[in-house]
Amino acid sequence: MNGIATLLQGAVQEGHAGKRRNVLSGAWVLLLLAILTFLVIYPVLTLLLGALTDTNPVVEGFSLSHLSITNFLTVLANPNVAEALFNTLVACGGGTIVAVVIGLAFSWIVVRTNTPFKGFIAAASILPLFAPPLVAGVAWTILGSPKTGLINTMFKWMSLDWRVDFYSLWGLVFVFGIYYAPYVYMFTSSALRNMDPSLEEAAEISGASAFSTLFTVTFPLIMPAIVSGMLLSFIVMLGIYGIPAVLGAPTNISVLTTYIFKLTNWSPPLYNTAAAVAIILMVVTGLLVYLQQKVLSGRSYTTVAGKAYRPRNLDLGPWRWFTFGIGVVYLLVVVVLPTLALIVAAFRKFMFIRDAASLFDMKQYSLMHFYSIFDNPLTLRSIYNAVEVGIITAVVGGTLAFAIGYTIHRTHVAGRRSIDLLTMLPVAIPGLVIGVAYLWAWIGIPGGLYGTVWILALAFIARFMPDTVKALSTSFLQIHRELEEAAWVCGKGMLGTIRTVVLPLARPGVLAAMTLLFVLAIRELGSSLFLYTSNTMVMSVLLLDYYEGGNLGKTAAFSLVQTVLLGVLIGGANWLSRGQAQGSVARTG
Amino acid sequence: MKKKIMMAGIAGLAIALCSAPAFAQAEFGSPELIAAAKAEGKLVYYTANFAEVEQRVINAFNKRFPEIKVEMVRAPGGQLITRVKTEAAAGKLSADVIDHSDRALMLPLADMFMDYAPPNAADYLPEAQIAPHLWPRATLVWSIAYNTELVKNPPKTWMDLTKPEYDKMTGQVFAQSGGTTWTRIMFERQVLGEDYWAKQATTHPILYPSGAPMSDSMVRGEVAMGPLLYNAIYPKQKDGAPIKIFFPPEGAPVNPYATGIPKTAAHPNAAKLFLNWCLSKEGQTFMIKELGNLTSLKVAPVYPEGFDPKVVKVWFPKFDEYVKLHGPWVSEWDKTFGYRQ
Repeated sequence: MNGIATLLQGAVQEGHAGKRRNVLSGAWVLLLLAILTFLVIYPVLTLLLGALTDTNPVVEGFSLSHLSITNFLTVLANPNVAEALFNTLVACGGGTIVAVVIGLAFSWIVVRTNTPFKGFIAAASILPLFAPPLVAGVAWTILGSPKTGLINTMFKWMSLDWRVDFYSLWGLVFVFGIYYAPYVYMFTSSALRNMDPSLEEAAEISGASAFSTLFTVTFPLIMPAIVSGMLLSFIVMLGIYGIPAVLGAPTNISVLTTYIFKLTNWSPPLYNTAAAVAIILMVVTGLLVYLQQKVLSGRSYTTVAGKAYRPRNLDLGPWRWFTFGIGVVYLLVVVVLPTLALIVAAFRKFMFIRDAASLFDMKQYSLMHFYSIFDNPLTLRSIYNAVEVGIITAVVGGTLAFAIGYTIHRTHVAGRRSIDLLTMLPVAIPGLVIGVAYLWAWIGIPGGLYGTVWILALAFIARFMPDTVKALSTSFLQIHRELEEAAWVCGKGMLGTIRTVVLPLARPGVLAAMTLLFVLAIRELGSSLFLYTSNTMVMSVLLLDYYEGGNLGKTAAFSLVQTVLLGVLIGGANWLSRGQAQGSVARTG
Repeated sequence: MKKKIMMAGIAGLAIALCSAPAFAQAEFGSPELIAAAKAEGKLVYYTANFAEVEQRVINAFNKRFPEIKVEMVRAPGGQLITRVKTEAAAGKLSADVIDHSDRALMLPLADMFMDYAPPNAADYLPEAQIAPHLWPRATLVWSIAYNTELVKNPPKTWMDLTKPEYDKMTGQVFAQSGGTTWTRIMFERQVLGEDYWAKQATTHPILYPSGAPMSDSMVRGEVAMGPLLYNAIYPKQKDGAPIKIFFPPEGAPVNPYATGIPKTAAHPNAAKLFLNWCLSKEGQTFMIKELGNLTSLKVAPVYPEGFDPKVVKVWFPKFDEYVKLHGPWVSEWDKTFGYRQ
């Protein structure tokens, strides 16, 4: 009898505990939803309202009386929008293919082969991430302009009858591809590093060649990472303004972002039409995200389990010098050439280069552009502000993304699908338009958010949430449940399990996501344009100002300053996270 | 006695030395205004002009008034107007001075500005103003420029730019870019002829969003020649770039800015002092000599290099036409030049 009473009592207590857990998880979901409503839904609704009216919601008030779909109809009937959409899809689609080929090849070379100087190749493959798109665009216009490009000047000097023209869709595809390959690399290299090599060994024992193992076992196994990297790089390309602005403008090649920028920059500006174009961009992205979910759903990609192993290296024999050569060529094209172009432009008094002899005429070089930028008090202010915003964004955004990622991927709480959906929503709203939406949505909030660096940081956190959560998701997907279950069996609660098991295992991913967020925040231009004030000018805005001010020398000089700064900061973060990553491998081994 | 005289002399010299700047400063405002401006210590300056150019204006102002810090927010014309409207509606307009190149966009906002006139208000051309409290702080003028390394047979007139021999060598800022360019294309149609756009379009000009990137492209050799605002290209020529600039004989279109002090300005005295200085003879002379502006003063204190007032005919647009013709003419221009909207 006593036994039954104890059992009953236990059941009642368990029932209470279950109820408490339900209430807690409900509150948790509500909290996340409230944050996301503030960060995402409210600004997006403002944007939608903007697209459906012809008024500025702050100036004329939030009124539903003038709703019409005129803006959409105008936009849909405009053949130039269709052309911009077509150009966008070609440039981003082509760019993604190039990025996947490069990113995947490099992650395989770095993680799975005995190529010499792998650390050096690994560093080279993420270097393009440091370059803000506008800087990349400027560097490639110096190199690849059909009329004055340094590449053509050198071809002429070498008496070669070759010519390159980067003011074309192919130019865009190439530059997009090489600059966004690091996204694919980041996703796939961590997946390859964490993969159980016994699966590959099994394939080889069954008689598969190294090549066919790669394509039938290795790559299919890291498919979520490939698809995530691919999708992310495509989506990021969709929202890039700097590269198509510089390379597309001379031949009037519009993509959606440059088209939107034009609309907001015209006199008078057409924000409501811009908002309508932005909604079209959102629909395209929404379809892509849906496609990704469809592709990945119902398949298991767990490759990190509780067993100890170390990834093995494939012995390439003499071919390892070939893979090393590929690394060197990539470094040359992506880092050395553009940096040289920027150095030439930054130190040269004027960028008129008659021939190769004039290029090497040292009398043409001076420090005048550097003196000039540091003479401007805004330069130092903008650097300080950008770093401050970057750190706030990385820490707050990284923490929020971890909370969201964990809730989506590791729990079964009701409402997690809505959280997932909301997180992905800002994915391809071009920064420039969402910048206006943030301004419209948040300027009225009491407490003086407007005019501080926090409004910029919040905008970046919201805008880059999809990137950060996606970057973290791969880490979560790879940690086998059995590790968490083991912690539960040992009596750890959920928070304890997160602290002692999930966080240490996902730490390289979390640090990588925070670094990514930091870089993105420092580079972000579009949404900063409306949110900065005289006290909170950031580097990217000042860089655009130098560029729009028509001084390539100062633009290049400031680009070099920004690149060096990002390099130092990220190098530091990378060094820290590498230590962490090794630590976690040691723990699992 | 001798000592006394010497003392008096020293005292007199000291007074003269101390009051010299005060006397010089009187043309920028009353001693009360200057004292109040210094007490405020700063102002926030919104401008559609290029930050780099305006930073030089601020530096020159600070040589005269080092106690007043000028914080600048610079945005392209369309974006600046949106920001001003939105901030004003939310009651968070932080600007003490708003400076814009497109007077047509500023006119609907005229009520937002306080009554203000500089001490030398009577010296300004009335046609340069669109409202009593909006002032032509900067006045920009169009010229034609070319790269001397690339053009051996340079153009001499506006009409020369339509010559077939310059095919694919010219550049243009597109019509929709803002007030200054709109002034130029109005001039082209009203003065150079109804068919001028069509003739020029046959030379396949490269279209630029603003004069600054176009002037840079000209220095690099991406385009060889074209119409440019004098202040966008003059600093480059001054620094030694392979550029020549001239004011064509058919006329030089001029676009005065509209600049004012919002009623909500938190630092109205500093704002007034800043505008008084900009609009003074000293400020205008600085902008003409150093930046390549023109002026809307009735009697120009000086002219930009290469500008001979006896030869060059300045051309001001009629403001009612400037507002009325904008929409239809810009869309015709877009069609003529195949500029995609």
